[in-house]
Amino acid sequence: MSRRKMFLRMITASLLRRRSRMIVALLSIGIGATILSGLVTIYYDVPRQMGAQFRSYGANMLLVGDGETPLTTETASAALDAIPAENVIGATPYRYVSVQMVKRQQSFVAAGTDFEQVTRTSPYFSVDGRYPENHREVLVGKEVADAIGVKLNSIMELTYKPEETTGGERSEIRPGDRIAGSAEGWGGGLVYVTAELDEEMKIASLTVNADTQTEEIGGQCAEANYTNRFIGRAFPPEEKDADVVSGATLTSRAVLSALQTAVPVSKTAAVQTGNTLNLTVVGILQTGGEEEGYVFLSQSDMAALTGEEGKIDVMELSVSASAEELEGYAEAITGEGSGVLARLVKRVTKSETAVLAKLQALVFLVTVVVLLLTMICVSTTMMAVVTERRKEIGLRKALGASDNGIRAEFLGEGMFLGALGGLLGAALGFGFAQVVSVNVFGSSITFQPLLLPVTVVVSMVIAALSCLLPIKRAVQIDPALVLKGE
Amino acid sequence: MSLLELKNVSKIYGELKALDNVSLHVDQGEWVAIMGPSGSGKSTMMNIIGCMDKPTLGEVLLDGVDIAKENSKRLTDIRRDKIGLIFQQFHMVNYLTAVENVMVSQYYHSMPDEKEALEALGRVGLRERARHLPSQLSGGEQQRVCVARALINHPELILADEPTGNLDEANENIVLDLFRQLHREGTTLIVVTHDPEVAEAAQRTIVLEHGRVAREIINENFEA
Repeated sequence: MSRRKMFLRMITASLLRRRSRMIVALLSIGIGATILSGLVTIYYDVPRQMGAQFRSYGANMLLVGDGETPLTTETASAALDAIPAENVIGATPYRYVSVQMVKRQQSFVAAGTDFEQVTRTSPYFSVDGRYPENHREVLVGKEVADAIGVKLNSIMELTYKPEETTGGERSEIRPGDRIAGSAEGWGGGLVYVTAELDEEMKIASLTVNADTQTEEIGGQCAEANYTNRFIGRAFPPEEKDADVVSGATLTSRAVLSALQTAVPVSKTAAVQTGNTLNLTVVGILQTGGEEEGYVFLSQSDMAALTGEEGKIDVMELSVSASAEELEGYAEAITGEGSGVLARLVKRVTKSETAVLAKLQALVFLVTVVVLLLTMICVSTTMMAVVTERRKEIGLRKALGASDNGIRAEFLGEGMFLGALGGLLGAALGFGFAQVVSVNVFGSSITFQPLLLPVTVVVSMVIAALSCLLPIKRAVQIDPALVLKGE
Repeated sequence: MSLLELKNVSKIYGELKALDNVSLHVDQGEWVAIMGPSGSGKSTMMNIIGCMDKPTLGEVLLDGVDIAKENSKRLTDIRRDKIGLIFQQFHMVNYLTAVENVMVSQYYHSMPDEKEALEALGRVGLRERARHLPSQLSGGEQQRVCVARALINHPELILADEPTGNLDEANENIVLDLFRQLHREGTTLIVVTHDPEVAEAAQRTIVLEHGRVAREIINENFEA
């Protein structure tokens, strides 16, 4: 039998056949290791856990257009590829336009969005009723609802006023464009036109929506035998081109004026004869913030209202990441040069970082204290072991054990205990962290495989350090002790 | 030929002279008993011969080496290589089996060899009890394990401190028979005792009183 085998045999015999004493030592190491590995797990999981918690305070990154390329759902989604998909909690597109309630002179902001994503990026939204799920449903901010007196299940008739939002953005009209415009007709009601131009800048088709006008009078302007008169005329039409429908002078002039001031619209946009929608109020939104002054539509309803599909003003992102990571993502997105700019909501990211740092510092401090307590506990136990085994140590020395031999035996025992306690602690620690996590954060944690060897090694080191003083005492024991006939 | 020689050895603790100018020699293969009342210096002498203590004055030559001049590390080496110890209180490692206790001595000396350890236990009549823990053995059996442990490394000197002090007569005789065997094989034996019967088994008895050699008795009835 080799010396090493005998060494292991002695150590295991010492641990197995002196069970009660060793169980106490094992428990002290094991409990220390449990709390240690549990706290370390929590320490590393805090950012993830708290990140998820923080994400309920709203978006921390915004995607906006660079002012040249218009931002669309597609370009924004493509930009999102720079962020790992699992870190994106939610990505909510918003298209803001100014709308007016038909037959009321009140205008306010309508936002076209994806309600499923809204629940992710703005989980704090409080909705009386429900989020819109079907076409022609609307979520109304409380402020708007109070101002215009709508309630759940009311019908709202909304009109899009493109000149207020697209004014200044008018771009040149080219041959083959689809154009849209509106102008005030009789009684201040808006008349909408949509037209298509051919390659020679002549009007190829024209649709008029004169729902706001008196049906039998101004309404005639929406009929084909009036609109056909414009077909084939050069764009923009001049005053002489416009025949006036008798009795509907104002409506007729409005059609002409709307055509003259029309702007190009997306060719892919569904043909909307009237940019007026009847919407059912299904929810009243309370946030305590500016959102209460908006009405929220689905993206498809927004497209129907504006005739522009896919265009968005901003995409709000809720990303689970540290401040540095967020900055990295933002730089990557902006740097791509795809016309999408990423901005961080500093107010959110900064406070998150500060709170996280404090929490981690707290857990770290507790971990260090636990480590010290474990060392004291193990050291005390080992001290008791040495005292109890004075005779045995004396005997071993009398039999020829060198000081280093005695050191090796006690250190070996201590480290063996450390390894066992570490294994025990790694397993129990995961359970401990799980319980804490479920009770405090309400979510489970993932097992870190690396923590197992780390806990075992740390426990062994702690056990070894704790043994130093007791071993020093063991080595000082006089072998002659055993010869005294006590 | 002299294996052990004490020349004018004194051990002084403050004003107490535990050993006072003692001279003594033990030949190779000799069986010597050391007797004396308690406080006569037996234990001190035993510690010095066993390389566990050093004299204040004088020389202690063991196999030609003056152990009074060696440091404690060297003393440990000498003890391990040349001396087999047997104690009154048996002193076994209580969590190791009989055979493992014998192997501990091999472990510190050279190489643990279970077969050899079992043979040694067979020699003291405990081959069947080899796998028992000390708590499962009687006092006599424990002391026989200690004899096996003392002889396993073939020491030049076996030093026994009251080896039969805690044994009944039957076990005392077994242990003395083992000593006789060892003596026949040429092992040098020094047995510290206060029991005249044990002393009479030896070739020569040295009586200590007040730290001095009071007298020396040659056992004329000694039977090898």
